[in-house]
This record gives sequence, structure tokens and C-alpha cells, in this order.
Amino acid sequence: MSRIALQLLFRRVLLAIPILLCVSALVFVILRLLPADPVAMSLPPGATAEDLAKLRQAFGLDRSIPEQYLIWLGKLLTGDFGGSIYFRRPVLDLVSKALPATIELVFLGLVLGVALGVAGGLAMFAWRGRAGEQVLDLGTSGLMAIPEFLWAILLILVFGVALPILPFIGRLSPGLSLPPPVTGFLLLDSAITLRLDVLGSALRHMVLPATALAIGLAPLVMRVLRSSLMEVIQEDYITQARLRGIPEHTILVRHALKNAALPTISLIGVQGGFMFGGTVLVEMIFAFPGMGNLMVDAVRNHDLPVIQVVGLVYCVLVLAINAVVDVVYLMANPKLRTA
Amino acid sequence: MSPRTRAALLRCARNPRVMAGLLLALAVIVVALGAPWIAPHDPQEQDLLNTLLPPMWSAGGDPAFPLGTDTLGRCILSRLIYGARVALYVAFVAATGAMLLGTVLALISGYFGGWVDWIIGRLVDIWMAFPPVILALILLVGMGAGVNKVILAIVLIGWTRFCRVIRSEVIVVRRRDYVAAARLAGFTHVQTIVKEVLPAVLPLVITLFSLEMGIAVIVEAIMSFVGLSVEPDVAAWGVMIADARTTMNQAPWGVVMPVAAIFATVLAFNLLGDGLRRALDPRLVTSRESL
Repeated sequence: MSRIALQLLFRRVLLAIPILLCVSALVFVILRLLPADPVAMSLPPGATAEDLAKLRQAFGLDRSIPEQYLIWLGKLLTGDFGGSIYFRRPVLDLVSKALPATIELVFLGLVLGVALGVAGGLAMFAWRGRAGEQVLDLGTSGLMAIPEFLWAILLILVFGVALPILPFIGRLSPGLSLPPPVTGFLLLDSAITLRLDVLGSALRHMVLPATALAIGLAPLVMRVLRSSLMEVIQEDYITQARLRGIPEHTILVRHALKNAALPTISLIGVQGGFMFGGTVLVEMIFAFPGMGNLMVDAVRNHDLPVIQVVGLVYCVLVLAINAVVDVVYLMANPKLRTA
Repeated sequence: MSPRTRAALLRCARNPRVMAGLLLALAVIVVALGAPWIAPHDPQEQDLLNTLLPPMWSAGGDPAFPLGTDTLGRCILSRLIYGARVALYVAFVAATGAMLLGTVLALISGYFGGWVDWIIGRLVDIWMAFPPVILALILLVGMGAGVNKVILAIVLIGWTRFCRVIRSEVIVVRRRDYVAAARLAGFTHVQTIVKEVLPAVLPLVITLFSLEMGIAVIVEAIMSFVGLSVEPDVAAWGVMIADARTTMNQAPWGVVMPVAAIFATVLAFNLLGDGLRRALDPRLVTSRESL
């Protein structure tokens, strides 16, 4: 990685700090608007007012909101993420179990979505002006009208229920023992420890949820790639290459695609962030034990300590993916490299 | 009507996407408005002797329930028709709110620039750090569930989409000569914005409004699916999917029908927005006319 890329990364990290502070304050304040009392709801019937007061004090809910926020933030910075009211476990435990699952899922979804999108975009471009392009163009409109969570349900209907060829519940087949945690990422751990049965089962369980996420991304990539290819193809250097007798498909892959990739890369940056949002319902539908499932459970049970941290983690993920894509963009764009 | 406006309208009318989107959207609107007359049954009416009926064209179907019934024997077609009311109500009100908030902030931000622009820009940055679904869930936890809270949440999320796109257009328009001329002619800032800048960005606003309606339908479906939107007995498409999901093995139609309804409605607004963008975008228009 070049020095400029490192500088950019450093700038993005510096910029992320104030954004995350604002985000955490915002989430904290929004959640304190809550009309119900989550602590009171978590008490068994027959608890006294004294029990409630004690528990509220234990969770720090008896102080003013700015005070609560500063205390929470201070603890967060020292690595104390607080305890869940509903799960009765440290939030850090819950998040560190769920986060790798979601990252693996989004990674597969991104890879699959970009692959489908690039293939589709190239096909649209190759068929430009012909009926095939119109069909694909209308196809993208259709694909974009169905959100990820509905794809999840449709995929289950087709490949889980009608043709039962793929599993659609959880992350592993029941009965398989987990490999010893090395990295925390199931796919990596099972590959490192040569547990191919676990690796295969985990991958099979991820096919449908990753496909649901990928179908949300692919049509956007297709459209952006097609239109930037259309622009690039009119440049002089393409005509030059043609005059030199370079075959059309070599021009497309070697010259046009390289330059047309830039808008697609920035699109992936934005959409990659949104994909983390898409995982929420997809994970819930596939009972996939990731951040999304944790978030939905926490929301349903008004588990504020969990919601706060999970919300913040999502923002960190979005900012991280944006920063990574910015660096890739910089490295892929020779015009910016010497800026 | 100025010749330019007429030309723009004509371009829209000739665009197949605009017309297809418009027809589909009109069909959904007619169904929603005419629900009491079109629906064969009351959407809440239970017929416990006829639960999980298949659609009338498959074996065991009953013509009294054209699309079959759900686990409580309620008519799926009637629930779909009434569900259109919830979807369109949320889509229209939420998209209007997001459009008003986002466009006003974009006009202020892009026209005045300086520290106002800086503050609004940073606000957008903070908002963009949230995946929309996460922000919606957090807002609904804080504000409590309910369909009007969902609308408020969509407004509070959707304004950034308007603000970002329209602001950059306003910055371009602001530098045009006729805007300077309006100021020289003695227009106040507000008059200049309303009479000169707003009309120039209006096509973009309309396009985004149409797309936002589609997004709002999806967000409402998600939230009613999770149980944070309408009351559980109200017929909304997301509720229908959540209810039918448990019996998906025996009665896939219960899931497929509301998915198709969401698909048709979102497709209508997307086609309309997409077609309008292609027909109204000044850059696309000039490049097509110069060819």
C-alpha cells in the first residue's frame, strides 16, 4: 500500500471518531425517549418498588441522561460494554459471538453480488442496442423492486420447501461440533482445523442468505457498470486500441473495464454499508445467529444496553467498509495516486 | 404552460417506463381507494371452517375466496386489497414528509453555502453512517411502535436521500446567470430560491419522490413484518407475510401473494421514478438531443 493510501486511511479513521461520538450520543438520546421502562418489564411478577429501584440503580438508569451517556461512554472506552437486561449476559460476549457470523455473511453476499453484477453488466454492455439489453434492463427494474428480506422468503420457498436441496435454518447442521475457536470466524476456523464437514455445512447454510443479499446488490452494479462502460468506450484510447487491431474482448477487459470500474467501486462502498442493514431481516428469517438477529431480539425486548452497542457496531462497520472502499478506489485510480 | 414544460411532459408521456409505472401505480391506488367495494369479504372476517384454502384455480379451492384463506380463514384477496391502503398511506405521507424536509434543507444548504452548508453536510454524514434499517429500528424503539411512528421514522431517515442529491444540483444552479440576474433585479433570497432555484431542481425532486414512495412501501413492510408497525389485526402486507410464514410448507400462497403485491407496488414507483429520471434529467436529455 502506498503512502498516500495510508494517509487517506488515517484521515478516514480520524474523521470517523467525531462521527461515531455523534452517532453514539444520538442513539443514546433516541433510546431514552422510550416510554416504557425496560427494567420494570424484566422483573418477575410480585417484585416490589424497592427491587425496581435497586435494579434501576444497578443499570445506572436513575441518573440524568447526559450523566448516563458519559458514564456509558467512559466504560465503553475502557472495554466495558455493559450487561444485557434481557439476555442477562455481558454485551461484549453477545456481540463477539454474533459479529463474525455477520461479517462472513456480508463478505459472501458482497462477493456473490459483485460477481453477478459484473457479469450482468458486461452482458448488458455486450448486447447494447439489442433485445438482450432491454430484457436485462427490465430485469434489473424487477429485481430492485423486491427487498432482500422478501428474496430470503422466496428463496426458502423454492430451495428449502419446494425443492428441499439447501438448509435454511441456523448456521450449521445440528449434531456437528464446533471447531476450536482460533479466529472466531467459523469458516476460517473450520478450514484451519481441517474440519471439512463443518466448513461444508456452514457454506451450505450460507448459500441462501448470501444469495438474498447478493440479489439486492447485483442489479445496481449491473446498471452502474453498464453506463460507465458506455462512457469509457467513447474515449480516444479505445479507438486507438481498436486501430491497433486489438480484439474487442481484450479491449473490454484490459482497457475499458479498468477505467469503468471506478464508479462501480464507489457504488459498492455505499451499498456494502447498506448490506449490513439488509442482514438484519435476512438473519432473522434464516435464524442465522448474527448481529441482525441479536438486534431484532434486543429491539423486541427493549434491551437498551444491547441496542446501543449493536447500533454503534453497525456504524463502525459502515464507516470501515467506506474507508476500505475509498482506499481501493484510490489505488485503482491512477489520477488520484499522486495527488 | 411554458413550451419547455410542455416538451418535458411530452417526453414523459412518450417514455414507456413512465407510462407503465403510472398505470401500475394508478391500478394500486384505485384498488386501495375502492377497497370496501372491491373486496369480497371483510378483511378481519374469520371463517374457521375454511382455513388455509388454496386459490380458487387449484384443487380444493373455493370461488368465494379467490386467492384462498389464511390460518384464521380470512380471505387473502380482501386482506391484500385492504393492505394496499396501509402501503399507499405510508408511502404517500412518508415520502411527502421526507421530500419537504430534505428539499428545504438542500435548498438552504446549497444556496447559502458556508457554515450552514457545513452543518447540514455533517448531519447527513452522521445519518449516512447508519444502515437505514438499523436507524429505523432504533427510532421505533425510542418512539414506540405504530404506523404513524413508522412514517415519522421514514421521514427522519429519507430526508438525507433528497438532501444529498438536490444539494449538489442546487450548487450547480446557483451559479447560473439567471439566478444572479434575479438577485440584481431585486429579488430577496427567499424569492430567488422559490422562483428561480426550486423550479430548476423540481424534476429531480419529483423523481426522488417517486423512488422514496417505493422505499417507504418496503420499510413499512419490514416494520409490520417485525411487528413494529400496524396493530397485529390490521391487514398489512408485512403482517400477512409474517402470519403466513409459519404455515409456508402447507400454504405457500399465503406468502407469495403479499410478496407479489409489494413487488407490483414498488415496481410501479421505481419504474415511474426511473422513467422520469431518464425523461427529465437535463444531462441525459441534452445528450440525447445532440445525438
